[in-house]
Amino acid sequence: MSAVADVAAPHATRLTVGAKAALITALVGALCLALEPVVPWLGAWPKTWVLPMTDWVGTALTWLLGWIKPVARLFSDVMVYPMDWANTALNATPWPMVIGIVTALGWYLGGLSMAALGFFGLGLVLASGYWHEGMNTLALVAVSVPVALVVGGGIGILANEVPRVKGAVQAVLDIMQTVPTFAYLTPLLLLFGFGPVVGLIASAIYAAPPMARNVMLGLERVEAEIKEAAIMSGGSRMQQLFQVEIPSASRQIMVGFNQCLMAALSMVIIAAVIGGFNDIGWEVLLTMRKAQFGPSLLAGMVIVIFAVVIDRMSAVLATERKRYDLRVVWAVLAFAVAFTVLFWSSLPGASEVAMLDGVADSMDRGLTRFTQANGMALEALKNNTLFYILLPLRIGLDQAVLPFTWGFMWSPAMSALVFGLGGALGLLLAWRGNVTGGIVVLIAFGMIETGVTNLPWPFVLTGAAALGYVAGGRRLAILVVVLLCTILVSGLWDRALLSLYLCGASVFACAVVGGAIGVASAIWAPVWRVVRPICDMLQTIPLFVFLIPVLMLFQIGEFSAFLAICAYAIVPMIRYTRHGLVDTPDEMMEAAISSGATEWQILRDVRAPYAAPTILLGLNQTILYAFSMLVIAALIGTTGLGQSIYLALGQADVGLGISAGAAMAILALIADRLVQGFAEERRKALGL
Amino acid sequence: MSTSDTPAIACQSLWQVFGPSADKALTEALARSGGNADAAAEDLRARGYIPAVQDASFEVREGELFVIMGLSGSGKSTLIRCISQLLPGTGGEIRIDGENVIGASKQKLTELRRRKLGMVFQHFGLFPHMTVAENVAYPLKVQGVGRKERRARAQEVISLVGLDGREDSFPRQLSGGQRQRVGIARSLAVNPDIWFLDEPFSALDPLIRRQLQDEFLRIQATLRKSIVFITHDIAEALKLADRIAIMRDGKIVQIGTPTEIVLQPVDDYVREFSKDVAKGRHARVASVMQAGDGERGPDDPGLTTNMTLDAALARCMELYQPVPVRDAGGAIVGTVNPSDLAAALQVDEA
Repeated sequence: MSAVADVAAPHATRLTVGAKAALITALVGALCLALEPVVPWLGAWPKTWVLPMTDWVGTALTWLLGWIKPVARLFSDVMVYPMDWANTALNATPWPMVIGIVTALGWYLGGLSMAALGFFGLGLVLASGYWHEGMNTLALVAVSVPVALVVGGGIGILANEVPRVKGAVQAVLDIMQTVPTFAYLTPLLLLFGFGPVVGLIASAIYAAPPMARNVMLGLERVEAEIKEAAIMSGGSRMQQLFQVEIPSASRQIMVGFNQCLMAALSMVIIAAVIGGFNDIGWEVLLTMRKAQFGPSLLAGMVIVIFAVVIDRMSAVLATERKRYDLRVVWAVLAFAVAFTVLFWSSLPGASEVAMLDGVADSMDRGLTRFTQANGMALEALKNNTLFYILLPLRIGLDQAVLPFTWGFMWSPAMSALVFGLGGALGLLLAWRGNVTGGIVVLIAFGMIETGVTNLPWPFVLTGAAALGYVAGGRRLAILVVVLLCTILVSGLWDRALLSLYLCGASVFACAVVGGAIGVASAIWAPVWRVVRPICDMLQTIPLFVFLIPVLMLFQIGEFSAFLAICAYAIVPMIRYTRHGLVDTPDEMMEAAISSGATEWQILRDVRAPYAAPTILLGLNQTILYAFSMLVIAALIGTTGLGQSIYLALGQADVGLGISAGAAMAILALIADRLVQGFAEERRKALGL
Repeated sequence: MSTSDTPAIACQSLWQVFGPSADKALTEALARSGGNADAAAEDLRARGYIPAVQDASFEVREGELFVIMGLSGSGKSTLIRCISQLLPGTGGEIRIDGENVIGASKQKLTELRRRKLGMVFQHFGLFPHMTVAENVAYPLKVQGVGRKERRARAQEVISLVGLDGREDSFPRQLSGGQRQRVGIARSLAVNPDIWFLDEPFSALDPLIRRQLQDEFLRIQATLRKSIVFITHDIAEALKLADRIAIMRDGKIVQIGTPTEIVLQPVDDYVREFSKDVAKGRHARVASVMQAGDGERGPDDPGLTTNMTLDAALARCMELYQPVPVRDAGGAIVGTVNPSDLAAALQVDEA
């Protein structure tokens, strides 16, 4: 919203594009509110106008999938073999050997600290008693990652070699990034049937795009002169590609490898939802359902350990060239073998170790005590947020304010008061020269009064079109309207608004809190020293794990989902805000200091405007993160599209799953384009 | 290499136009303008095309060091990429040893590059994942030369550029000057007849630049390659070139020896370049001499026609006796020998 205000020109007398767009939106909104009692279809899209698009999609897809099914089943039959091998290999290898191998690998890649990370990490996994479950998960990753690497790398190289397909590949990758993970589980379920293979294939599909993206980027970024030197050396195209360009792009490709691993791990765990197969994701799901939060935390910890170890070790591949002494590697391996042989007879089975069971139990008890002791406080926090913030935002003040919660009944006079207040504030802003800001304030007050889910559809369309027009011109406005209309006529509109509301609330909270933390981190280095490892951690943890702590404290419900989304989506906001503010060129800072500006003036007048495009990109990431978490959060009870996708998964309803997934992707896409448009506009204004 | 008078490279009406289906656009523009290059270029620009090289014609003789000079955006980098066929060339002809390479097959170009062409790049274009020796040997590797032979030949050229002992270093461990030595060594690995150098010394600091220029001249004195050398530095061009082509806005405006460029610039643009150049170093006595056995004084400092103006001036000054030098009050405080005066004005070879 602030970006709209920034567009306002200094001349208050003539209306800017932004002000006009805001004015039209406000007028349409007012008109809808006024006419709604007379013309009911202005408020809610009538049921009779809904096209059965979900059914059509379902029929078409079922027909299509029926054709592919034999091939898919064959493929899944084939994939069973490598999966079994990986499973057997990882489970049959004595645990001291596995720990030894990981420790040795850690040493070779990153020296003592990595070796320690590997050793203690796997040690904890062993102690947790989830060794076999963990190995089963690793086996899935071990099979899906090579598939993803080959497919993703192949696509990346193909796009690089054949410029004509590049645009199409890019578009498909973009879409795949926005379509929520659960959405493509449903068709996969139909294709491959229940079982671990679906998880494997889903994770390969999910992990291939980052690889493709990074391979494309890396090859694109190889210096032109290096490519030319390869040509002038007389290499054939294959020689140029494999001997020069790919090795030169190795760092970027390693970044892709890292992201591919993390995506695969994350998806393997999510896929537990459809295939109960004794892996660590399943364990988390099971214990969560039984409300055994101690074991659930323990299993979650195993996932986090895997994520951290895999992430840090593979990140070293991209960032460091230095490798460590191979003799130590052999020594560690030799020690592991010796240990295994010497203690063979007295070696406890991996699952019998379970030293942390006691910890889990006492944690469970402690937690119960804690929630019982602080139940009032937690409950109050939850209810206050729900009744006084989330609910009004969702259904509007006029419906949310009830004697039961607020102590009084909402009356038309109060509505008038709210509108009057908004109008006065808007007028004040307009009078001070910020016409756009004034109208936007009025609109915001109107939205709070009405509630996001009760917004009249013509108003939403107009508002989105207006934002699109200001952010990216006529083409973006048309795109936004067309995409929204498909949701409108498909009958998913209500659920889309519900998703929009929860997402919007979380994004707003993230923007405020995350922005503040980002600013603080930029100003005080000590803050960043604390915040940074937390951010790193939050970004490494697979989405699924976020659900455990919120569920423990606040049970199933919208508030828990809200918190989980915020915890995950806040990270980019913090990072980008800080990065944008810290990144101000030294010369600009020196110029400001030598002009005699104070620290605060520099922040407000120099750093903040310069950082604006970066912060907007952070907001964009936060929105996309929020959408992807929204679907996962459906597991612990949200309404809206996420819920539909999750339901469709349970009923194997391809039509609903894909349509709801597409609607979700459309919302994410629109948000993405709008914010990118504003960021681009800011960048241009700064001449960047 | 044939010893006939076929030029090593001959460009005839060479065009490089950027834009969608540029070939057709160029043909049409030329047809419309009746073959007038300037009018055709204007026509193309008006239609949104970029004529980066317009109607370039020149020859590079065998063993000649041909320098193409121009400011950034003048099309000189595009021109050398046309000749080396890194860019396809939109119109005209490029003959290398008498054979037209525009429209040649991929295999043929690869073959040509493997045997005859070498290229040095402004930012070196070294392969970051290969050692110095592997970088230098790469052009041999792609031809399937054996490891031992490759290493031996690489060693030879590495010695030639004075990098003995750094064979197993990686490019990131070298200084800028050393990196360009690797670039030069690599371009010489297959012992090419034709050597392209695209602003090879522009990214280096002035002292290193001069050092490498001198070594480049030393190498060229023994190898006698046919060279196309790109630079934006007039001093570098004058120092190295047998002949210079000056480019502006995609057109070659003048081709000539360094002396011709300095003393007979064709227009103000070229004159502007040579303004700051010490003429005494490039112009010869012949260029200011009055022919015939005319009126003259009794002195004979021993001038010859091919002496530079600087040298001739010094010789003339040697005829003078030392003269007095006074302080501000008019008292004599010392003497100056006029020949020292002339010598002090001479600029060292830059």
